[in-house]
Amino acid sequence: MKFLTKLTLGAACAASLFSACLKAEETVKVGVLHSLSGTMAISETSLRDILLFTFDEINASGGVMGKMIEPVVVDGASDWPTFAEKAEQLLAQDEVAVTFGCWTSVSRKFVLPVYEKYNGLLFYPVQYEGEEMSPNIFYTAEAVNQQAIPAVDYLLEEGYKKFYLIGTDYVYPQTTNLVLFEYLQSKGIPIENIGGGLRRDANGEVISAGKYTPFSHTDYQQIVAEIKAFAASGDAAVINTINGDSNVSFFKEIAASGLTADDCPIVSYSLSEDEFRSLPTKDLVGHLGCWTYFMSLDTPANKKFVANFQEWLKTAPSGVQREGRVTCSPMVLSYNGVYLWKAAVEKAGTFDPPAVIEALKSGISFDGPGGTVTTQENHHLTKNVYIGETLEDGQFEVLESFENVYGEPFLKGTFLKQ
Amino acid sequence: MKKILLSFGMLAVAAFSSAQQDATREVLERLALAARAEQAGLLEELAALGDPYIKDFVGAWRTGEVFSYEVSEDETIALRRVSERYIRVATGESFEVADEEDERLKKIRPSRKLRRALKTITDTIDLSSPDAKTRIEAALKLGLSQNTDYLEVLRKKLEIEEDAKVRLKLEEAINISLLANAPDDAALSAAIERLGELKSLPARDGIAGIQDRAAEAGDEALVETCASAIEKIDAARRTIERWGNLVRGLSTGSVLLIVAFGLAITFGLMGIINMAHGEFIAIGGYTCFVVQNLFADAFGVQSAAYQWFFWTSLPVAFLVAGAVGFGLEKGMFRFLYKRPLESLLATWGLSMIMQQLFRLKFGAANVQVNTPDALIGSLEVGGVALSYTRIFVIAFAGVVVLMTWILLSKTNLGLYIRSVMQNRNMASSLGIPVSRVNSLTFAFGCGLAALAGAALSQIGNVGPTMGQAYIVDSFMVVVVGGVGNLLGAGLSALGIGTVDQFLQPYWGPVMGKIIVYFAIILFLQWKPGGLFPTKSRSMDD
Repeated sequence: MKFLTKLTLGAACAASLFSACLKAEETVKVGVLHSLSGTMAISETSLRDILLFTFDEINASGGVMGKMIEPVVVDGASDWPTFAEKAEQLLAQDEVAVTFGCWTSVSRKFVLPVYEKYNGLLFYPVQYEGEEMSPNIFYTAEAVNQQAIPAVDYLLEEGYKKFYLIGTDYVYPQTTNLVLFEYLQSKGIPIENIGGGLRRDANGEVISAGKYTPFSHTDYQQIVAEIKAFAASGDAAVINTINGDSNVSFFKEIAASGLTADDCPIVSYSLSEDEFRSLPTKDLVGHLGCWTYFMSLDTPANKKFVANFQEWLKTAPSGVQREGRVTCSPMVLSYNGVYLWKAAVEKAGTFDPPAVIEALKSGISFDGPGGTVTTQENHHLTKNVYIGETLEDGQFEVLESFENVYGEPFLKGTFLKQ
Repeated sequence: MKKILLSFGMLAVAAFSSAQQDATREVLERLALAARAEQAGLLEELAALGDPYIKDFVGAWRTGEVFSYEVSEDETIALRRVSERYIRVATGESFEVADEEDERLKKIRPSRKLRRALKTITDTIDLSSPDAKTRIEAALKLGLSQNTDYLEVLRKKLEIEEDAKVRLKLEEAINISLLANAPDDAALSAAIERLGELKSLPARDGIAGIQDRAAEAGDEALVETCASAIEKIDAARRTIERWGNLVRGLSTGSVLLIVAFGLAITFGLMGIINMAHGEFIAIGGYTCFVVQNLFADAFGVQSAAYQWFFWTSLPVAFLVAGAVGFGLEKGMFRFLYKRPLESLLATWGLSMIMQQLFRLKFGAANVQVNTPDALIGSLEVGGVALSYTRIFVIAFAGVVVLMTWILLSKTNLGLYIRSVMQNRNMASSLGIPVSRVNSLTFAFGCGLAALAGAALSQIGNVGPTMGQAYIVDSFMVVVVGGVGNLLGAGLSALGIGTVDQFLQPYWGPVMGKIIVYFAIILFLQWKPGGLFPTKSRSMDD
């Protein structure tokens, strides 16, 4: 398979060189930097697919300022130094005008210095922990106040009084839960009603809130027993930032323990429609999700988007899985990113990244499948946020929506001081 | 079980006067179509009716079997789908819907808020359920709602309840409700004391809240009562946790044992460093998936025969992986017996090839293996709950160990295996077909790995890289147990599992695991041969 991928990549390179000779001035190179192999491939391949679809859609309607988009797809291989290496290759060798890429926060942290060094432009599409604002990155992703906080607001409004925090042990869950820990306290939730445990440093300052398990952890008996005891007195909810495969073991254990979504709902921040394809959805029915887009959104824009994507899949290049595909928030945020970049380029009148970044900062809107998104001065997006409940078919039913939520990356330490 | 309940429900429905049922149906239809503001009033009406049919309907509503249908512009009715047919909710008469795709037919679902309100009504109905477990759960829920209306209901039920366990739960529920609704301080203290005696974990938060308020108000006596009740509850909880840790340790240990046992044969007895062991585990998981799909195609998902897919897939997984192992031994491993370094690299390569084959055949995403109905749910003894799937894994590990022991010590093949493992050349010169025994032993080890994979499909995910999660643990178990010793592997698996579960509550899963690994390093410094070092000659080569 690897050999095959290389072969196709090689062929694609040769083809692109050939076509580049033919129409040297008519294309603009755009980088796609995602893991197409390794553990993250399962999620990130979908983002590559949606990007290729978006490029085709834009090219079919005349390209960007008359130039066709020419994608340069590289494989970050779920390996963080490789991400940095490939980013350097895109910027120094291919001289791409913009890159769309990264999933995990750690991969973003690895490529960040590269983009700053070459003064490039990266669009980052996956919900993340905030506390970062590089001049060379645009975060189309959900900031903590566009996912974690609205979901907690919803639960508080529903009358839940106890919150158990659980996640995978890395930067996104740790940081998000610390922010939530402060936020919950600012909403009058006493510390003993925030479950999962606390770790303090020598000065008594809380440095970690919640329960953490390693990547690919499979044994959730102890934690589920703890959650069951925690939820015994009712009015408890679980906030889940577990990533990847471990969710299967976690939800199987929860289902077997007899805890139902009515007793104790679990709101998951890393599970979208795309992840449901490899999860036992019947164990997830009734639990909650919070994203800026759901495939089930009943709007004409979304219906058209979903239909166009399915149509494109029929003629998709080889290597793209065609059956059983769904759309999800990270995919739509990638899609929005490309159109925002196109609009910014047209506004700036040039492909030069610094000028495009200035144009983006001035506030550009795009009517995407999840509603209108607008770029902000602080490199984030104003967008709608939806809370949904999981159904048997792996889709969400929208329970509540928050319109035009301003993206705020720096939240740590802001709630308790007020 | 569900069928029995259902028929009880039917009987109960029949017992109710038909007039009342008509009233219930009519209210339900109005509720299904009502706007948010009108729901509260209708819910009160429903609560007053208390008809068991409500529960039946709410279940259907929840699972998306209820629809609204626009008969004309100013008349909309509610329909319920019962086995492909539609009936009008208000009358129970069947209603013809010509076209499923009809624009006028819309699925409706209760909002979360409404569902929670309905839950209290169905809980009240459940208090009269013939099933004791249902009554217990319902009683507790109603107590926790701390609603004075239900306090009376619970008291009345306590008078007529005969089952001792349910009586205790009802008493607990009443006292929890009293925490918020006690008429005077004496009654409150009595309730708190009683809850302490009942060791009621659900009441702990409430009592702690009262304690805080009492401390602020300076009510020393009440603080004292609360503290002693909380002390009793916590003591009971600690005991439960200790037992729980032991049981969970046994379960984690069984998982380790089952994944490591195949390796204890191929690596422990035969000395092959098989990095592809995890992929043989994956073969087991995927075999379950394939057998499940074959059963679904042949019998249909609803049929009773479908439930047998999992039990059928166990021997199939063993045979499939055994055959693959047999072939690989003939084609690859037998050239590697004396070359551990090459075998390390070659099997690592094999592992990657097999992973890629899984990906090509089944896709990169995980596949779903269903749980047979018999294994759904959990068993709760004295506050410690263990799911049936976990219990199955424990029992299964026991069976696998027993069968392996019988094979190795009671059969001719076992005798051959042991002699070949002790000294290949000597066994060969005595006329034992060494190469055949090698192939069969390796195939057996691979078959055991696949059995592990089949069992794991019930508690974890089945995907191309599922084996990777277990390979390190497997080697760890075998090395700690003493290479070449099956009893050692068993003891080390259970030991590591239990230690892991006892460390987790204090240190968390991440630190817990690090401490276990660190302890193993120290242990191996002290006893390099593991728990039971083997004195086999093959080790001296």
